Amino acid sequence: MQNVATDENWKTCFSQLAPGLVLFARQWTRSAADAEDVVQEAFVKFWRRHHDISNRGLLYATVRSIALDFIRRDSRRARREATALSDVEPIVQPAFDIEDDSQRALVAALDLLPQEQREVLVMKIWNELTFTEIASALEISQNTAASRYRYALAALKKNLSPAL
Amino acid sequence: MNDFSELEDQLGKLRPAQPSPDLTARIERALAAESSTPTAAVLPRERRFHLNWFSLGLGLAAAAALVLFAFLRLQQPLKKTSNVASTSPAPTTLTDQFVAAGLTQVVYHTRDEGLHFPNSSEQPMRRVRSQTRETFQWRNPKTGATLRISYPKENVSLIPVSGQ
Repeated sequence: MQNVATDENWKTCFSQLAPGLVLFARQWTRSAADAEDVVQEAFVKFWRRHHDISNRGLLYATVRSIALDFIRRDSRRARREATALSDVEPIVQPAFDIEDDSQRALVAALDLLPQEQREVLVMKIWNELTFTEIASALEISQNTAASRYRYALAALKKNLSPAL
Repeated sequence: MNDFSELEDQLGKLRPAQPSPDLTARIERALAAESSTPTAAVLPRERRFHLNWFSLGLGLAAAAALVLFAFLRLQQPLKKTSNVASTSPAPTTLTDQFVAAGLTQVVYHTRDEGLHFPNSSEQPMRRVRSQTRETFQWRNPKTGATLRISYPKENVSLIPVSGQ
């Protein structure tokens, strides 16, 4: 992650960012494939506009914007599928490589977090963005970003206290 | 260290699922599809404002030429008047005074206000109200300078109406 700002090769940049970007996009999509589509569209758009890859706030804002557009575009299809598959147990692809039960519990607790707290947590923990970059991406103040992060951790800790 | 350091460590150990291997290839194809995209392996620089010295020089030269032209145009009437004075019956020495050079009267609105009997007159008169703009112009033959005064004017005309 440290070399992203100076790396001139987009593949290197992308390989470093991709897992975190896809995880970030997964918050708004129902499948990993959809999240990858969002990331692809966002990265291509970001790159074609000649933005500096070191401007990670803008990159994540682009992913978020395209993910929200994706939700709007996809809502009709989702309703159709929800009606058709209402009796079928949905297959949820894991967003993390889970190694044990404690991690499984952690992921389950993550899913219970409010969206605004989870997105800050995802950006901070797995994408290593600063609160300045998070604030820029979400168009909120740094204090708000930091507060949401703390609330997220507090909520996780509360839910996981027997497990940890 | 804060209260959440242990939780942050736990979260940090969670590894996001790797995106599918073909995601990079899909992005590469999408970038290649754009003909204007620069070489895929080179990071395009963010387009910022940068000074184009050639354009700046050309612009300054054009501005200087314009100023020079305007200056020469201002000087020209002085030469002309001296030439004209030699062939004109007017006094050979030009006075440094403004002399009347013209009057323009533009009627831009006329309204017929019907018949009236002004001042207890027994004969009806048609009242016509017209709005004009008059422009007086003076010129200093020595310097070529002109002075123009323009003002709106409203005229009310009473036109005798014949009963025959």
